[in-house]
Amino acid sequence: MQKVKLHINGFTRTLLVNAHETLLDTLRERLNLTGTKRGCDQGSCGSCTVLLDGTPVLSCITPTIRCDGRKILTIEGIGVNGHLHPVQERLASDGGLQCGFCTPGVVMTAVPFLQENPDATDDDIKEALSGNLCRCTGYKKIIEAVRHAAEDLRHG
Amino acid sequence: MSTSSYFLPGTIDEAVSLAKAHPNDHVFYAGGTDIQLHVKQRLIKPNTIIDLTAIESLKSVSIQKKNMKLGTMVTLDQIVKNPDIQKFYPILAEAAKSIATPVIRKSATLGGNLKVSNRCSFYNQSFDWRQSVGSCLKDTGDICQVTGGLNHCYSRNVSDLVPALIALNARIMVQTSTGINEMPLIDLYVPDGLIVHTPLGVGGIITEIFTSDEPSKWWFKKLRLRKSLDFTSLTVAATVNKKDVLRVCVNGVSMAPVLVETGINDVTLEGLILQVKRACKTVDNDYMPLKYRREMISAFITDCWNTFH
Repeated sequence: MQKVKLHINGFTRTLLVNAHETLLDTLRERLNLTGTKRGCDQGSCGSCTVLLDGTPVLSCITPTIRCDGRKILTIEGIGVNGHLHPVQERLASDGGLQCGFCTPGVVMTAVPFLQENPDATDDDIKEALSGNLCRCTGYKKIIEAVRHAAEDLRHG
Repeated sequence: MSTSSYFLPGTIDEAVSLAKAHPNDHVFYAGGTDIQLHVKQRLIKPNTIIDLTAIESLKSVSIQKKNMKLGTMVTLDQIVKNPDIQKFYPILAEAAKSIATPVIRKSATLGGNLKVSNRCSFYNQSFDWRQSVGSCLKDTGDICQVTGGLNHCYSRNVSDLVPALIALNARIMVQTSTGINEMPLIDLYVPDGLIVHTPLGVGGIITEIFTSDEPSKWWFKKLRLRKSLDFTSLTVAATVNKKDVLRVCVNGVSMAPVLVETGINDVTLEGLILQVKRACKTVDNDYMPLKYRREMISAFITDCWNTFH
């Protein structure tokens, strides 16, 4: 076991972790941050995406021990001042979700992508979200919602 | 899950020393996207993890006068986005872009892709799946579930960077406890699904990949069922250099990448296809049917040939 200090959503948590413990297990089972979803649990579906120092990672295949001293942002921390992030707003208002299970992963992938690519086209968005599986929507509404969110972000 | 020791060395020398101190039970962690899956599926149980992420010297990208040197901890995302790689070695950028998803490419590394584990539809499954079907030679069993044989494993090498780099005539630098060695990348691979990679020596780490063989023509194509998820069912990478040397490297259909090197005017299309097919030991261990994959080898090489001519 090794001691790690995690900076999660602006709070600091110190834990003892096994070398193989994944960030997903730490978040869900030990810190009760269950907004991050366990889908395939093998790095294929994107449901467990979180930001590690601003970069999206799949928490189900990220060992917690590698996150020592680093900043982690989960779906619980993506909103600003109690308001939903524009990507969350658009997914809700534009029908970009049905059961909602994949939505936290979609949001955590789309937010850093739009920061890097504010003028993204539909094809760019499709490519960026190609690792986020959704079994309900057929993706069209998700792509539209993210494009609308990009427009909202551009226009402040 | 058992407890393991975790080390985060800051230099290559330190990492090599740690590996030397734990000769039989260590793994090097690069991006971890492949190893972590194997741990979850109980295919490997590493007791000592040597994490290479803190070694800055493994993260360098250098392209000067068309000489390319890449550290093994360079991520696939960096390769895709590097303007010099796009300009001088577009086949490598294309190969990197074909791998996994944009999110995984931000973690996965060049070194990890060079040493990605071989795949087989009977091996890369959950523990419960393997228990129900029966374990294979590569796991804890004593028979190949694909062929019924007792001696040979035909698991497939599924790296996509490897055929591109071999087509570019790339070489690697390996640091061990006794010194630094250089070798052609293709020599890293052993056509045996159980061995897979040439042993690198005590504590050996691949530190750098380099090439100066800028191609005048290139071709790259990958066959898979789902674009963003699946490992390759067939990858063909080919280059023609300024001396008209054709290098065709085929991967995903045999235990190791298969290279055919010849003068572009010294071979016919039929002869080239025959040479590749003879060298590939393709068996029915992928979700795409065997006959289809064999036919697609011919189709890809024909497409490549027509592009070059």
